[in-house]
Amino acid sequence: MTAAIALRPEPSALQQWWVLTVRSIAPTLRNGETATAVAASVIFTAGFYIPLKDFMGAATQGIASSYGQYLTPLIALQGISFASISGAFRAATDSAAGINRRFGSMPIAALTPAAARMSANMYRCVVGLVIALICGHAIGFRFHRGPLYIVGFCLLVLLVGLALSSLFDLIGTRAKNPEATTPLLMLPQLIFGLISVGVQPAEQFPGWIQPIVRNQPISQFIYALRALAGDTTAAVSSPTWSVMTPTYLWILGLFAIAVPMSAVSASRRP
Amino acid sequence: MTIAQQQTQPGFALLTNWARPKTRAENSPRVLIPQTLEQIKRLLLRWRRDQTMVILTLAVPIFFLLTLNTVLGQRISQITGHSALSGSVPMIAVVAAITGSSAGAVALMRERADGLLSRLWVLPIHRASGGLSRLAAEAIRVFVTTVLILCAGMLLGFRFHQGPLAALAWLMIPVIFGVAFATLVTTVAFYSAGRPSQPGTTLVEGIALISTLGFFFCTGFVPLQQYPRWIQPAVEHQPMSYAIEAMRGLSQGGPVAWPMTATLLWAGGTLAVCVVPMVLGYRKASTR
Repeated sequence: MTAAIALRPEPSALQQWWVLTVRSIAPTLRNGETATAVAASVIFTAGFYIPLKDFMGAATQGIASSYGQYLTPLIALQGISFASISGAFRAATDSAAGINRRFGSMPIAALTPAAARMSANMYRCVVGLVIALICGHAIGFRFHRGPLYIVGFCLLVLLVGLALSSLFDLIGTRAKNPEATTPLLMLPQLIFGLISVGVQPAEQFPGWIQPIVRNQPISQFIYALRALAGDTTAAVSSPTWSVMTPTYLWILGLFAIAVPMSAVSASRRP
Repeated sequence: MTIAQQQTQPGFALLTNWARPKTRAENSPRVLIPQTLEQIKRLLLRWRRDQTMVILTLAVPIFFLLTLNTVLGQRISQITGHSALSGSVPMIAVVAAITGSSAGAVALMRERADGLLSRLWVLPIHRASGGLSRLAAEAIRVFVTTVLILCAGMLLGFRFHQGPLAALAWLMIPVIFGVAFATLVTTVAFYSAGRPSQPGTTLVEGIALISTLGFFFCTGFVPLQQYPRWIQPAVEHQPMSYAIEAMRGLSQGGPVAWPMTATLLWAGGTLAVCVVPMVLGYRKASTR
């Protein structure tokens, strides 16, 4: 009896997290998930830029040096949002296949599987961001402020990605319905993207919706990202506290909703 | 033991000829329709009970329509001189058809993984009823969605100017489009290399991305002239644009014959190419 107790393994949470992270990331190269993440950023770039360049370009003249400069923050956000949706699909598949239940019966901390899914999502977000920046460069997006701000830009995008990932992961886990998760989150992503200041200035929207457009999270993220990227025109604001605070608050708010609910969801034994 | 005693023994059932259940051959055309109807009922019931699916196929497209109308409506109307709704309502109807059928394809893959398809295959059911019921259920679902989107469009100011017959034809176009697309997606799903135990992530995301691409590059999004010249032919001739142009013609007026023909050609071509592989794929998925 004592021997059995002595043999009882003492799992390290860190190692478990790493194993589960690799479990999520390793198949993405084989099953085409990385390819779709790359394709998503390219498609969002082409899809927003080509039809809207002339259509919206006039409205942004004087505000941004080019429509590519104006649009790229939105494209980066769409890219990482798609990456988070991929993660939600994985979470829903796991949930439907019952692996979460099995983890629940094993000596694993309640939040370790969720944390592993998050790190896999960050990997997806990095892929999405890199491709979005390459595409942005191709349509004329440039950083105008220096390396520190470039790092800030990337970190902010990834932070938003982390917040969105935790929220979408929760939706995927709770919905337990893999077939509906991707399209269910994809259309709202486009809706939020289209009613943001990412495609055209808020003044161009009908009056009644302007407050929503200005204050919805995507628009606030875009204001912050534009400020970090900078531009040659005078219209772009510098990254002061008044520009950045709403963004941080939105991100905090997203975490404040998603993290406790994930914890509840993960510790519940179904 | 007399015959009367024997008949009261447990487990004994005397079946005289007249009491025997009448069976028809499982491939008799006379059982095809009732069995198909039964399976349509099953699929539609599942759809209706799945809250996520109902939100996805009914509520989200309507929000999408409101968004598009708010963001682009006014400017499109200024450019074309017509109501932008004549293009955006059809486009949303088509997008909703695409979204729903991709969800349907993944549900089918899950039923394959769960073994439901194999179970149905060994029952004395008409072989064609499985595939047929899926396409028919798809058609009904798309019709319901289209009617609801139309109602939302009506509230925003969408109107038919070509009479009731044209309106009816208008309603049928997303259905035709949806059935053709469902055939395509189902065929691809059967042959895509997803692990049988798990629906292929790539398939779902691939469909989501391709439909997004189609949405951005069709004439219902912004008018054709807004696209750069080099990409105009691709935008003009893709199936979504034809369906939307036909629907525009049927509601607002304008050319109908050619876009309608082209829509039917696209749908017919897709069906012609996919039907045989789909049937074979269905058999393979049911007998693996």
